[in-house]
Amino acid sequence: MKKPRPWLAPAATLVIAVAMWFYPDLVDAAGWPIFYLLFAYTVFFWTAQASSWNLFTGFSGYFSFGQGAFYGVGVYTVGVMVVKRGWPLLPTFLVGGILAAALGLSIGLVVFRLRRLRGEIFALMTLAVAFVLGAVARISSTIDGGQGIPLSSVPTPEALGTHPQMIFRLGLITAVLAVVVAQVVQHSRLGWGLFSIRDDEDVAETLGVPTFRFKMIALGLTGFLAGLSGAVHALQVSYVTIEEVFNIRVPLMVILMSILGGTRHWMGPVLGALVVHTMSDRLNRAGLEAVSDIIVGALLILMIVAMKEGLYLRMRQRPLITAIGAAVGVAGGFVLGPLDSAVTHLGYTLLGAVLGAMIPVGSRRQRPERGAPAAQAIEEVVGG
Amino acid sequence: MKRVIALVAVLAMVLVACGGGGGQATTAAPDTTAGPATTPAAEEPATTAETEGDGEAEAPSGDPIVIGSTLALTGPLAPTAAIHKVAGDLFVERLNAGGGLLGRPVEWRVLDDESVADQAAALYERLITEDQVDLIMGPYGTGAIAAAIQVAERYGYVYPQHTGSLTYAFGYECHFPSWPTGRYPNQTNPSLVYDALESTGNPPETIAFVINQFPGSMFVAYGNPDTGDPNDATGAKQIAEERGYEVVLDVQYPLDISDWGPIAAQVRDADPDFVYLGALGVDGPNLIAALDALNYRPAGMFMQWPAPGPVLGAGESAEGVLSVTAFESHPPFTDDPENAEIADAFREAATAAGIPYPEMETQASASWAAWQTLVQGVEGAGSLDHEQICDYLRNNTVRTIFGEYQYGTEENNYYGDLSYVKQVQDGDWWVVYPEEKAAPDRTLEYSPDN
Amino acid sequence: MSLWAQSIVSGLLSGGLYAMMSLGMSLSWGVLKIINLAHFSFILFSGYITYQLAFSYGWDPFLAIVVCVPVFALAGMALQWVFDKLRISEFESLLLTFGLFIIFESVTSAIWTADFRRMDTVQNPYQSQSVWLGDLALPVPQLAAFLVALVIALGTRYLMDRTDFGRAVRALSQDRDIARAFGIDPHRVAMQLAGLAAGFAAIAGVFVAMSRALFPGLAVEWFGIVFSVVILGGLGSTLGTLIAAAIVGVVGGIATVIGGPPLAPLAIFLVLIATLLFRPQGIMGRSAT
Repeated sequence: MKKPRPWLAPAATLVIAVAMWFYPDLVDAAGWPIFYLLFAYTVFFWTAQASSWNLFTGFSGYFSFGQGAFYGVGVYTVGVMVVKRGWPLLPTFLVGGILAAALGLSIGLVVFRLRRLRGEIFALMTLAVAFVLGAVARISSTIDGGQGIPLSSVPTPEALGTHPQMIFRLGLITAVLAVVVAQVVQHSRLGWGLFSIRDDEDVAETLGVPTFRFKMIALGLTGFLAGLSGAVHALQVSYVTIEEVFNIRVPLMVILMSILGGTRHWMGPVLGALVVHTMSDRLNRAGLEAVSDIIVGALLILMIVAMKEGLYLRMRQRPLITAIGAAVGVAGGFVLGPLDSAVTHLGYTLLGAVLGAMIPVGSRRQRPERGAPAAQAIEEVVGG
Repeated sequence: MKRVIALVAVLAMVLVACGGGGGQATTAAPDTTAGPATTPAAEEPATTAETEGDGEAEAPSGDPIVIGSTLALTGPLAPTAAIHKVAGDLFVERLNAGGGLLGRPVEWRVLDDESVADQAAALYERLITEDQVDLIMGPYGTGAIAAAIQVAERYGYVYPQHTGSLTYAFGYECHFPSWPTGRYPNQTNPSLVYDALESTGNPPETIAFVINQFPGSMFVAYGNPDTGDPNDATGAKQIAEERGYEVVLDVQYPLDISDWGPIAAQVRDADPDFVYLGALGVDGPNLIAALDALNYRPAGMFMQWPAPGPVLGAGESAEGVLSVTAFESHPPFTDDPENAEIADAFREAATAAGIPYPEMETQASASWAAWQTLVQGVEGAGSLDHEQICDYLRNNTVRTIFGEYQYGTEENNYYGDLSYVKQVQDGDWWVVYPEEKAAPDRTLEYSPDN
Repeated sequence: MSLWAQSIVSGLLSGGLYAMMSLGMSLSWGVLKIINLAHFSFILFSGYITYQLAFSYGWDPFLAIVVCVPVFALAGMALQWVFDKLRISEFESLLLTFGLFIIFESVTSAIWTADFRRMDTVQNPYQSQSVWLGDLALPVPQLAAFLVALVIALGTRYLMDRTDFGRAVRALSQDRDIARAFGIDPHRVAMQLAGLAAGFAAIAGVFVAMSRALFPGLAVEWFGIVFSVVILGGLGSTLGTLIAAAIVGVVGGIATVIGGPPLAPLAIFLVLIATLLFRPQGIMGRSAT
């Protein structure tokens, strides 16, 4: 058994984050496309959203469709307070996070008191909350009333640079915060408690896990991180409408990313966000609008079928073939077409790595059986 | 084993797809050394065209000029965006057949923004800074238009767009809206409709407002008091009250409304002389069907921006329905032989693309006018320099399918309201008001006393 | 007064369409443990087929049921066969069928374009017809959907309670291994049930096409209502689904009259939340299932 070093991952994340802070300057100096900043921002945004979702759902097993509600609270806090009330931008981000956390806590306060709460009830409750918020925003003209809110005139802090530089840095902060929180939680008593709730809540209770309190803390954190990230994202949306905010897109995307990456480890959502966004961005750029959705759908199905434990654990189980896949991806990129863009390069690399990790090499015997044994196998990897 | 085969198949499929993308991307970014915003038409296209001695003088040559844009190819806005796709494809095809732009071929790169505004913003950022397209064209949908305008402004790109109906929200000086409603559609559009009704000598006494909660239709119906411009503050409802119509019903509905029955019951209950339906897409025929089911038919009904085909599909019940348009494929709009030919070509292209109602009308013609604006700007400036194009368009008249006009630099570049009232008569749409734009032998039919 | 009565009736009848869309979803989720998003694709696809049959061959839309039900029942069985082979879990099914959902949307768009498709009054005379009950108008498409949903809900209930197939299904939903021990072939029963669910989706599609315009992105709009009805009714309970759908429809109708259409979703979801707080297993759900 390795000695657990819970401080290692957060420390490494922070070092990387500090280095990335200066990435916009590098892009500027090297004359790279400014789009790279926006691409990175979008990955940050989904990383923050997926990590936040996974913190509660992935760890505790309670399936939440409420991500759209938390995200929407963040977006609309900025829309209403900054545009209509003239609040300063940066503190409003925090308010957005706090309001979303409060929403999470109030959902929890009501729902977790239910006796015999089943997973799907919780899932639907959270979905319903998003629809209720959308309906309230539609009725109330102080919030929206159907007119939408233009955010183009919002003054942004000059210290953070141009719009792309600013959005990159704000996205970086929220993503790093979400990831570090997930890392700390995973290696803390809270994380252990949440995992035990996921495995069997009744057993967890008898083991002395304060299930109610742990669930509340986790849901509050999820709300805060998602709201904060949504508030920042308002600057990128530039025109806020109910239909685009309180819809099913954000929850579906975070679920997709987290499950593809793997829900039992903080790295899963990060990897999922990176892979899914890179792939869909490059497919879209290829202009294959007719086929690209079909390919995305097919890849999704394939990953679910071939890689139930998630991308991250799969890659960790077989680093060699993943690395070979990545190398083949890079080489394939060179062979198949000139690499005109670093993002395309990244796309090939990730594609190679993912497909490498997917290839069912090794004998069937080594592959964990489906169902409960698979969970045990995952447990061994995570715990070991 | 089967699984392995499937894997390999998808691997191949995906690699080919990405490879195709990479390849296409390189052709699309011919000039990676200089930022496009400052590229002063370095290729000198005129000389390239001239040096090509034999062959057809008209055939475009040289690197293609790439025009980038997004459209809502999927998602809730896709039904209407499909029309803009057909119009753009046809325009570019004809442009290339007619010698291209500045003697160079034109390539339109259109991406799918999935009906999502932030997606559109990111895609325009990519088109401009990574793909380094030479020119851009606006997307479809208010949210996407508003999101992309910020990107265009950041990089100084000329931004023609076809359907931006939130006229107060678009202040960028190089933004050129071809949407033919003028800066204050909330005033001019309803006034036109009421003028038309009053021209019959028998205007409505009572009116019902049924409004889709979409930013554009809300603005026309009620105005927006938050913009700081008093002309923005009122809309169709207030103007109706000023004209002495009694407002007997005022309901708003969400975009994804599923049950029209209760609204229809309310309309029947209010029994207005005229229904002002702030409609998008298929709201109109949905309400008509629900009213039919109640055996109720108001004396007159106006629909803001309906998909034209499905309204006609409502058959006899749609007779007499009013809407606004800026172009219909009948005289006097097709008196100009060029416009007539465009309308015919569009009908052919839309039919081939499987569009159920293939006639050229408001949406397609706005799209067309935006493309015409862009081309005239480039040709007028004689270069791809955005400052020069912008200057040219701000200071010269353009000639589009809507006629000759000048973008109004004092009014967010909107020009006059070129809307006309059209009506369903004998199973088709006809412009009926004002008289000089009405189809031959067509006049507005409205009589609340029946 | 007639406004109120008419709105309530209209809401109740649209509940019939909600029920029709939700019945198969409820069976699939409750018994098979498959959260089948492709169910929505089936509904939409069936709607398009109905449209196409009417448009190209002048078929009466009701007749389309004859074609759509067997086609989609087979598709549903095939899908269940794959699910069984892959042994996927509840949440994996959500993702896998989401992949299918995306693919279906693209295919729909490729075949019928993204533009609106709606049968005109010649192809579909029913959209403007009503049965009159005194002063109350009962629109034919909604009324038909309601009656069919009623028949199906009661019929399925009978099937579950009184037949060998029903006993097998119930055994299956409790414990697969025990079911097998009693000589039930779980795969076979699962496929039959999936075929039934997909057949319900096909019928729902016919009614959708009869009452509104189709476009490829339409299916997403149904998620909220259908999931609400399914859970409110109790997973796997067909009668509960019908009652829940009626409640949702009536609440929506009343809220529309009181506060306008935007109030309808608010009222529906508040009722839903309140119901679940006091009766988390749904209206007809048995706490065990």
